[in-house]
Amino acid sequence: MPAQGGPLTRALRNKEGTKVQKILKAAVVAVISSLALAGCAPTTDPKSVVLVTHDSFVISDELKQEFEAESGYELKLVKAGDTGSMTNKLILTKDQPIGDAVFGIDNTLVDLAAENGLIDGELSPIDFGDVCFNYDIDWFAAKKLPAPKNISELTASKYKNLTVVSNPSTSSSGMAFLATTIAVFGEEGYLNYWTKLKNNGLKVVAGWEDAYFTEFSGSSGKGNYPIVLSYSSSPSAEIRDNGKSQTASIRTDCYRQTEFAGVLAGAKNTAGAKALVEFLKSASFQASLPTNMYVYPIDPSISLPETWTKFAPAALTLVGEELDVAGNRKVWLAAWSSLFE
Amino acid sequence: MLLATERFGWLPGVHCLSRRLLGWSIPLIFLGVLFFWPLTNILSRGFAGDWALHLVDARDWQITWFTIWQALVSTALTLVLAVPGAYILYRKSFPGQRFLRSLITIPFMLPTIVVATGFTIFRDAANVWTDPILWIIAAHVFLNYALAVRTIGSYWMSLDLQTEEAAAMAGAGRLRTVWSISIPQLRPALISATASTFLYCTASYGVILVLGGGQVDSLETEIAAAANTLLDLPKASALALVQTLLSVVAFGISQTGGRANIGIELGDHDGQVKRVDRKDWPALAITGAVVVLLVAAPMIQIFWKAATEGAGLVQNFANLTSLGTRNILNISVIDAGFNSLRNMFISATIALIIGVTVSYLLAQPTKRRSQVVLNRILDVMFLLPLGISTVVLGFGYLVTFGGYPLPLRETWLVVPLIQSVMAVPLVVRLIYPALASLDRNHIEAAATAGANRWQSFWLIELPMVRFSLYTAAAFAALVSLGEFGAASLLAYGDQATLPTVLYSLISKPGGDNYGMAMAASTFIIVLTFAVVFAISRENRPEPKPKRNGLA
Repeated sequence: MPAQGGPLTRALRNKEGTKVQKILKAAVVAVISSLALAGCAPTTDPKSVVLVTHDSFVISDELKQEFEAESGYELKLVKAGDTGSMTNKLILTKDQPIGDAVFGIDNTLVDLAAENGLIDGELSPIDFGDVCFNYDIDWFAAKKLPAPKNISELTASKYKNLTVVSNPSTSSSGMAFLATTIAVFGEEGYLNYWTKLKNNGLKVVAGWEDAYFTEFSGSSGKGNYPIVLSYSSSPSAEIRDNGKSQTASIRTDCYRQTEFAGVLAGAKNTAGAKALVEFLKSASFQASLPTNMYVYPIDPSISLPETWTKFAPAALTLVGEELDVAGNRKVWLAAWSSLFE
Repeated sequence: MLLATERFGWLPGVHCLSRRLLGWSIPLIFLGVLFFWPLTNILSRGFAGDWALHLVDARDWQITWFTIWQALVSTALTLVLAVPGAYILYRKSFPGQRFLRSLITIPFMLPTIVVATGFTIFRDAANVWTDPILWIIAAHVFLNYALAVRTIGSYWMSLDLQTEEAAAMAGAGRLRTVWSISIPQLRPALISATASTFLYCTASYGVILVLGGGQVDSLETEIAAAANTLLDLPKASALALVQTLLSVVAFGISQTGGRANIGIELGDHDGQVKRVDRKDWPALAITGAVVVLLVAAPMIQIFWKAATEGAGLVQNFANLTSLGTRNILNISVIDAGFNSLRNMFISATIALIIGVTVSYLLAQPTKRRSQVVLNRILDVMFLLPLGISTVVLGFGYLVTFGGYPLPLRETWLVVPLIQSVMAVPLVVRLIYPALASLDRNHIEAAATAGANRWQSFWLIELPMVRFSLYTAAAFAALVSLGEFGAASLLAYGDQATLPTVLYSLISKPGGDNYGMAMAASTFIIVLTFAVVFAISRENRPEPKPKRNGLA
């Protein structure tokens, strides 16, 4: 114990202060300098073009380089959640958009985007996917049970506890199926159908990924459900060593989702955004769509990979194109939720 | 002379007031710009619509009712388990106690999204209780157990033990002593723990989102769905109003019930606690079961899955540098970790500066009634960010800071800033009571010795509250590290944080993503461990300074 000195003398003698103060001082300096740096950094770069997309967008490095070499702009991606929340973010921020171009607004949201003046010019269709049920061929072969041929059969007792779908309030494929049931059974009959599905042991999960990769027996998760709500293209991803797909689609009464791209109103780099949308329509990008994003190119002149023509052709019959999904969403979801929550 | 003093007597008062105003200006500008501006901006859009309809909507009431009852049940269970826990961990002593106290603190510090993941595994492995609500309640108990144990335990430790001992002497059984003597004495701590636990359970987002699987709606998830999926701002605003009212009620109760500190590690008691003995077996059994089944098991499950799931231990961790199967991430988990650390550092520093300033100003002694009332109002104002839905505030940022005059949204600073707003109330709650309870003699002595206000604060008061400061720093850091609601809206592109990439990995399984999510959770648990242990080490009580006067 030193001979003299209370806290004050000790503190005053030691002008540097204790460890706390040193850390605090250093932190304050660091924060102020980083604030200054962030404040001075240029926030807009005319040499780059920002594409706002949903989370499932994929572009290969080669294609990215091809676009950058052709156009002279650097491509930056902003993945802004799923299709719905991406569109909502764009609507909320339309006065100061978070990017220059958008990819992934689908047919259910096109009207909403137009009403809110999101797009400078027109939206261009880029790709489409068909929401259909898939089933596990091996599972049905082992049980010697015929696979269902349409959605009405899913309520049959022989298919009890076999089907998993994604929640329409949290997933776009789930919403597409809800629209399908309305198109097939009508506004007066669809809830009755869902009640029967529920009584037949339907499993509802939050997202398509949960349903397909975790609960479905025919994919990597090897779950307990041999029937899953997915896309007509999905079987192309389940080709086994024998060269055949383990799964197949029920290709009737499917709902087609078309995805669009466009230049955002108020974009900082309109020229770059236009070049980017043109690039998304170009043959090289269109040809990459099946392998990168499991969707069909909108350009009919692009030929599909062989595995696709064999195992993953588009749907035979489509339904629900006439429905106003965006306008009725809230009402439908409220009715559906009262049944399932 | 006398006349002059009478005439100009108000002058020093004005001087003092203006100085105080100057001091308040920085925190007030901070709160005004970063909290009230975006909040009014987003709420005014909502309240421009038919928001009032939602206050009479049956489904919205159902959701409000669910939010309240699940919080009540979670709180009741937490308290029932926490009282024996507080008894064993604070009122008694045994070897390894400090380690256990730290261990039970981990869940409270973890990002809720990691907690939810742990319970998902637990649920799928156990394959019982298919009702998600049961698992949500279990996760809430897991999260808040430490908060309640610490609040009750630290109060219990400070109680006079004579009455309890007298009762024991008179032949009362231990259970009866606790029930009829301790519990009534613990009332303030019990009320405080009830209110805070209730508050955290009503504001819960990540747990309900993940464990509910989209089929369980609480106020917070419904606000997010209304704003995010349906773009129904009137509904989001109406529900946010209801939620804020709930929070204010809980605050009010916790404030009237007396305050108890929620320090990370409190000093040991002066040796009057007794060793655990055989009669303590019911409390020991309950606490042991809680620690093993509720606290340790979910975390061990995560470690186990990280080691065995998908591609295996090494590959799962190696994958943290990748973007996941199907390239679902914008940046790798490691890069997100760097973002999180940077955000944590910046936001904790800002929260500390603002929080300490506010605490200092609130703690200034005053006798004037108007000043007391004003302090009360300011106190509540700086508490408000705790009661506001982070999703609502995040949307406020999205619409407010897009361009002129403050283009914050374009910079990475937006995330640490919003997180610092959320951390300020916690810092104030920890530092203000500490500063207010300081012995004024030291400060007056410093003034006598010629120290000015700043010197006295910087060299005397601040070092005296340093343990509270460490704790506040840790809380602020962990708020930022675990924050999910606002980051999920604002941290897009290459600014993703650990909780947001983790949510992407969990919600988009398939391929290696699930194993990666487990490895990332392990990474976060270890990071949290590191922060908590660093703090509890620093927090060891110092030998008491000998009283030999000042200078």
